[in-house]
Amino acid sequence: MNITRLIAALFGVVLFLPAVSSAFEDDESCLMCHKYPKMGRVTEEGVQKSYYVMPEVFSRTVHRNVPCRDCHSYIKELPHKPVKEGVTCNSECHSIENPSTGKPFSHAPIYNTYKESVHGREKVAKGPDADKPYCITCHTNPLYNKAEKAPPKEIVERCVVCHEDEAFATKWYNHTSRRIREVKRSSQEIVELCSSCHADEEFIERRLRLAAKEGRELGRKFPYAAVAYQNSFHGKVTKYGYTNAANCLNCHASPKNYYLSVHELRPSRDPKAPTNKQNRVNTCRQCHKTADENYAAIDPHPTHHKEDNKFNYYAEIIYGIVGDIALFGLVGMAMFETFGRMRDGVNWVLRNGTSWRRARSRRRKKKLQ
Amino acid sequence: MKLSRDASAVLETSMRQNKISAEVCQELEELVAMMPDDKKLIYQNVDSNPVGDLHRYSVHIRIQHLITFTTFLLLAFTGLPIHYNEAFWAIPLNSMLGGLEVTRVIHRTLALIFVVAMVYHGLTLLFGTLRQVSAGKFDIRRTIIPLMKDVRDFSADMAYFAGKKANRPDMDKFMYKQKIHYFAAAFGNTVMVVSGSSFLFPEFWNSILPAEYASHWQEMMRLSHPHEALLALLVIAFWHWYNVHLAPGRFPMQWTYLTGKLTREHQIEEHFIEYLRNLVELPAERQYMRENLLKRGLAVSEPVRNRVFEEYRKTILMDAPKEAAMAEEPGK
Repeated sequence: MNITRLIAALFGVVLFLPAVSSAFEDDESCLMCHKYPKMGRVTEEGVQKSYYVMPEVFSRTVHRNVPCRDCHSYIKELPHKPVKEGVTCNSECHSIENPSTGKPFSHAPIYNTYKESVHGREKVAKGPDADKPYCITCHTNPLYNKAEKAPPKEIVERCVVCHEDEAFATKWYNHTSRRIREVKRSSQEIVELCSSCHADEEFIERRLRLAAKEGRELGRKFPYAAVAYQNSFHGKVTKYGYTNAANCLNCHASPKNYYLSVHELRPSRDPKAPTNKQNRVNTCRQCHKTADENYAAIDPHPTHHKEDNKFNYYAEIIYGIVGDIALFGLVGMAMFETFGRMRDGVNWVLRNGTSWRRARSRRRKKKLQ
Repeated sequence: MKLSRDASAVLETSMRQNKISAEVCQELEELVAMMPDDKKLIYQNVDSNPVGDLHRYSVHIRIQHLITFTTFLLLAFTGLPIHYNEAFWAIPLNSMLGGLEVTRVIHRTLALIFVVAMVYHGLTLLFGTLRQVSAGKFDIRRTIIPLMKDVRDFSADMAYFAGKKANRPDMDKFMYKQKIHYFAAAFGNTVMVVSGSSFLFPEFWNSILPAEYASHWQEMMRLSHPHEALLALLVIAFWHWYNVHLAPGRFPMQWTYLTGKLTREHQIEEHFIEYLRNLVELPAERQYMRENLLKRGLAVSEPVRNRVFEEYRKTILMDAPKEAAMAEEPGK
């Protein structure tokens, strides 16, 4: 009976597979070509590019409801001309309306904020800007995950009283609840993300050389920041999954509107930066409520590099030397003591009455006579 | 036995503080005279109960030691995985103890108990000293306070270990090694408490420090806390545990930290001056030592004279009329 069921189930899966692929409605006929896995080319720089689109994957991403040409707006005919710039994230979606304004939906406001930040760059960037992150460096087009498998029955039941369509209510609930619950990356993910560039030695080296060439001043901590953070108290407890310690963005992004300000990171020399001298006390006060000027003077992730922090550099060396002398001096003394006492016949015995051999050492006796 | 100058001085003080009679003084003089000059012969030929023979630590000191070492070890186990988070053992050890959310609570709670033990110790020292002073039995040489004698003892002991001297120096209740250890621990504990409190209350510490030192203070504390912890752990594992557990004569364990008593052979070897005090204070110990020397044929037949006893007898002869007069006074 069970085997029959299993075979029936397998047969069902095989039958159902094409149905999954066709869940993606290809109204624009893009898949005519892009369904082929070998669709791609090698660029003039020798980089292999794949233009293969997996409909069953795309149909589950967060952009699944956006038609291809809303973003790939330069495609006017088929087969299309070679693409120059590709998709930029500040274009308007023609088919999706922003319900709050009634205008076409667009990422332009956040994009413009990002453009003004220290990270801002064009989509196609050459030279120094190529090191900076574009939107998709941090934001991929991730699979859409519902917050819950089934929304709470009592909530959906209430929605459908007016909104009638249960599928709409479920979709709306999932969309909203997901954003209310999980909108931030975890502290560990943020540290990992920032460190992917700021702890990369080649990247740091490249930026330092460039700044020297251009006669531009980089922040004092620029070469060490990420590694120094990982060695700081905040960094260590964050590594262990503690969520109340500051991560990179808690101090480097303005606390006013987190979601906006993480896109407009500024160097500490910028008066608007929360790490600027004028703003530091308030930045610290987000967690350390009674912080004052003195408190804000603390380097939250100090280094022990000679060129950056002489005090820490020499203090660490002195601590090492003192520690070694104390430890080896004391252990050496204990060894010397054992050696001296053994000559007079002290023994490693389970003490029962005495630890000493009765026969006294003749060697010392002779020497002293 | 010809007593050393240090031993004579302490013996004289001890006899005076204990107000011993001329008869006991006589008994002591004979006993000391019977002892062989080679101290090794004495401590190698006494009966020692591994659990301890002679009093050394009060119950308060033992409790403080127990609290300090249990909290210290657990503090180290909950703290070190955070500093050495890249070591292979760090994450497993931390998870084994319940993860960071648990260990940070354990660490802070134990830190408080650790501080309480330090305060308890301070009070024990204060009241113990006051009691000794009021009983007229205080002697600075019997305390842990370092004196010039410790420097002399150190060099004499090193000379003995090198084979250049026949005997170890006459040392008091606390020898140079114990004084080093005590002050290293006292200093280390203070560093741990101050640096730990500067992590827990950084706002407070920086509000009382000038701004230009604020950052360096925190940096030094961040450096001190793990360095001092690791140093203390290594010193305890490789030096202290060697001295009290593994060293020959102490193996497998000195019971002092539990019983508060030291073995007789150990006291005569390393704390001979304290042993002389015990002879003054404990009639039973005098009797044991006399019988032991006679039984083992170690008693010296041609005794040497120690002036300390004669001088003590002179002082009691001089004091006797005064005391008699004072005793009569209320009757007038």
